[in-house]
Amino acid sequence: MNISGYIKESIVDGQGLRAVVFFSGCYHNCFGCHSPQTHDKNYGEEFTESKQQEIIEDIKSNPLLSGLTLSGGDCFFSAKEVIKFVIKLKNEIPDINIWVYTGFTIEQLMGKKDNKYKLLEMCDVLVDGKFEIGLRDTTIKFAGSRNQRILDVKESLECGKAILLSLDK
Amino acid sequence: MNNRQGMADTQVTKRDGILSEYNPNKITEAIVKAMRMTEVGIDKELAEKITLKVTQQVEKSKNTYSVEQIQDLIEKDLMMSSRKDVAKEYITYRQKRTEERLKQSELFKIGEGIISGDNEEVTKENANLNGESYSGKMNRFGSEYSKMYARNVMLPKRLVKAIDEGYIHVHDLDHYAVGTHNCIFIPFDKLLADGFQVSDKGSVRTPNSIMTAMAQVAIIFQCQQNSQYGGCGASKFDWDLAPYVTKSFVKHFKKGQMYFGETFVTVDIEELNVDNTDLLKVFPKSYTYALEETRLETKQAAESMIHNLNTMASRAGGQVPFTSITFGLCTSTEGRMISEAILNASMNGLGHSETAIFPQLIFQCKQGVNQNLGEPNYDIFIKAIECSSKRLFPNFVNVDADFNLQYYDPTKPDTSIATMGCRTRVISNRFGEVYQSGRGNISFNSINLTKLGIENGVVNGRTEVDVNGFWSKLDEILDITLDGLLHRFDIQGNQPAKASDFMMQNGSWIDGEKLHPNQKIKDLLRMGSVSIGFVGLAECLKALFGKHHGEDQNVWYFGQELIGYIRDYCDKKSDEYDMNVTCFASPAESLAGKFVRMLQKQYGKIEGVTDREYLTNSFHIPVYYEIAAHKKIDLEAPFHKLTNAGHISYVELDGNARNNLEAFKNIVQYALSKNIGYFSINHPVDKCMSCYYDGVINKECPACGENSEEKISKIRRVTGYLTGNVNNFNSAKRAEERDRVRHT
Ligand code: SF4
Repeated sequence: MNISGYIKESIVDGQGLRAVVFFSGCYHNCFGCHSPQTHDKNYGEEFTESKQQEIIEDIKSNPLLSGLTLSGGDCFFSAKEVIKFVIKLKNEIPDINIWVYTGFTIEQLMGKKDNKYKLLEMCDVLVDGKFEIGLRDTTIKFAGSRNQRILDVKESLECGKAILLSLDK
Repeated sequence: MNNRQGMADTQVTKRDGILSEYNPNKITEAIVKAMRMTEVGIDKELAEKITLKVTQQVEKSKNTYSVEQIQDLIEKDLMMSSRKDVAKEYITYRQKRTEERLKQSELFKIGEGIISGDNEEVTKENANLNGESYSGKMNRFGSEYSKMYARNVMLPKRLVKAIDEGYIHVHDLDHYAVGTHNCIFIPFDKLLADGFQVSDKGSVRTPNSIMTAMAQVAIIFQCQQNSQYGGCGASKFDWDLAPYVTKSFVKHFKKGQMYFGETFVTVDIEELNVDNTDLLKVFPKSYTYALEETRLETKQAAESMIHNLNTMASRAGGQVPFTSITFGLCTSTEGRMISEAILNASMNGLGHSETAIFPQLIFQCKQGVNQNLGEPNYDIFIKAIECSSKRLFPNFVNVDADFNLQYYDPTKPDTSIATMGCRTRVISNRFGEVYQSGRGNISFNSINLTKLGIENGVVNGRTEVDVNGFWSKLDEILDITLDGLLHRFDIQGNQPAKASDFMMQNGSWIDGEKLHPNQKIKDLLRMGSVSIGFVGLAECLKALFGKHHGEDQNVWYFGQELIGYIRDYCDKKSDEYDMNVTCFASPAESLAGKFVRMLQKQYGKIEGVTDREYLTNSFHIPVYYEIAAHKKIDLEAPFHKLTNAGHISYVELDGNARNNLEAFKNIVQYALSKNIGYFSINHPVDKCMSCYYDGVINKECPACGENSEEKISKIRRVTGYLTGNVNNFNSAKRAEERDRVRHT
């Protein structure tokens, strides 16, 4: 599995200051996608054990972080491998808060209990939906187009339907 | 000497290239003048003899002689004569004349630069002054001459040498000769309560409403600004203005009683205040009406004050006063209304909701008052965070930092640390009680630490650090720096009270009103501080050790030792001269660029030291160095404690900060928890003037596609204050802004 980037601290990929890992590989082909280079699974650098460890150490040592964001690409296309990384991460930082960005909708991900579902279960917040250029809106927080939703994963799974996260509580 | 026929045809070329008639009398005069300076005295015969000789040579020649060539002939003949003493005097006289001409031409060149607007370093020296406007140019003319005068006539020679060699910078040199002082916290409580005089033009009475009070605040700022060259601030604005909110409430309440017919009882004036809940029970309509009206009036008062402070120019040059307002600790309903109104007005911005550049807002953070949920002013702190995420201020000053907390007395608002927008602070006072308003910084000089580093470090062919050489040179430079401050203080202190009329007349400066207009202000001025500042710690360390304090822990320790040494020096000298001498993390306006240009001329471009267009401000980790936000805070924190004249640390955020208040707040509170004294977050505040989109704009507006530079306003921070547009920056500041690495 490859990653196309890693940011130690970001304020635009979810609430609070967050570390962000961008996973390579995406087949959604949204028109107007702002990082088409990441669609290729082989783009970027290999997500080696040592790179994973380095990122985990980074997060552990940064008192300002509110959590980690999984972005891409779309990490649900590599769910099986991403899960391994998240397990490792949670072993070291059990209460870490995880946001994940995807082109799928939560309904699609909840459909069957496969790896995608498992990965979803491990996250706290899901920003879902393809980027729709016609619905582009530069004023909304943490999302690019108006169809995209910021969802509370635990609540949504419990209720079996999409539940919006209340921001800035 | 005979003026013989035929000579009229002989001509000389003057310095400006114009031909003029040769006049031998002038030669005789010049020689006699030189003779007069000698012990032996005048020998008219010899003077005429030499004149004749020169004249013959000039007449004989086919070429036209220049003035300079003729003087050479005179000099040669004098040297050959028996009167070597006259020759010597003549040479000295010539040199002196040459120097004077040079000075005049320097002034001439400065003038040309100002008029044409070509000299960026002159026209854009101050980012908040339009150096291309008529009044801006007039201002520069005065200030450039005044600088030259101070340099050539007043400054200690040792200091001039150190300035020319690039060791020291004297800030606001243009005010040196006339003796102006730097900055002040105005005791607004006092000026508003007592009323104030505006020179001989008239007097102003104590206001009876918050609206009038805020209008008067703007007037006071404007008048006061002309008595100094730096900024003016309020150290406890919410406390100062709260009584006038009460006055407004009383006014509205009484009106309400009449309108609603609730006049059955008269209430004692002491009982008439917002927090008296009995009023609501007995006079429900009047109370509700009064409260609503008071809130509205406070809001409007704050809005119009902010408009005033951004539009009324004082000082020549169309400069609005550099104003700063510190607030946040007053928990009375009235005080809270003031804080809220200022924050709301700043968030709303000016006419087209542009970010107001002034007043610079500074929010006082204090555990138990406004830092945690449940504390009385926590909501105002959160509003301050929101405002800062939109407008770049307030900045956050840390009342809980140990070096500030030691002065804090909750019963005395003036003991909670406040700062000027630019970061200057005065709180300790060797002359007794701790207070801030009524005094300020008197002046400061900054040391170019980088130069000391280059001279003694592992650069320029040296392989080992010369630590002893470094310390001893630092000692020498510290002495010269302080000498300069004391010399300047002498000029400042010897000014009569009337020179800073508004300030002394009204007691903006403590006890000023007690002075006779002709009395000297020295003993009062002494209450302020003189400060030794520094620039370029990072490049100094890089030059010394090959690494700066962000790159190596031992270097970081050395950095602290170095700044600690300067601080100790200041403390020692405070005792020695019975003055408040303090150590300053200088705001380096155009200085960062000026110093590096001098260093490049002297040493060329040294990698990581002089290869950029600026030196790093004070003790900051370089803006181009990639480092996590928390690390930057950790590394810069210990320097705050050492710099008692003022300091600030920044973290740079990339992205639209207003969308992520959680991150913003966490970073601020983390900095406070690390004993940082004064903190702020830099982030892009852009606005499209075509569609009024607010947010981050790179090349074009993401909302409407506007891409013309003039239509996109980019507000950035320089030396603590904001500035309207990146285009107004001089080259060093533009380069620094370009290189800033966002920490997130
Ligand atoms: S899901 Fe994201 S990465 Fe994939 S195409 Fe859409 S916008 Fe691009």
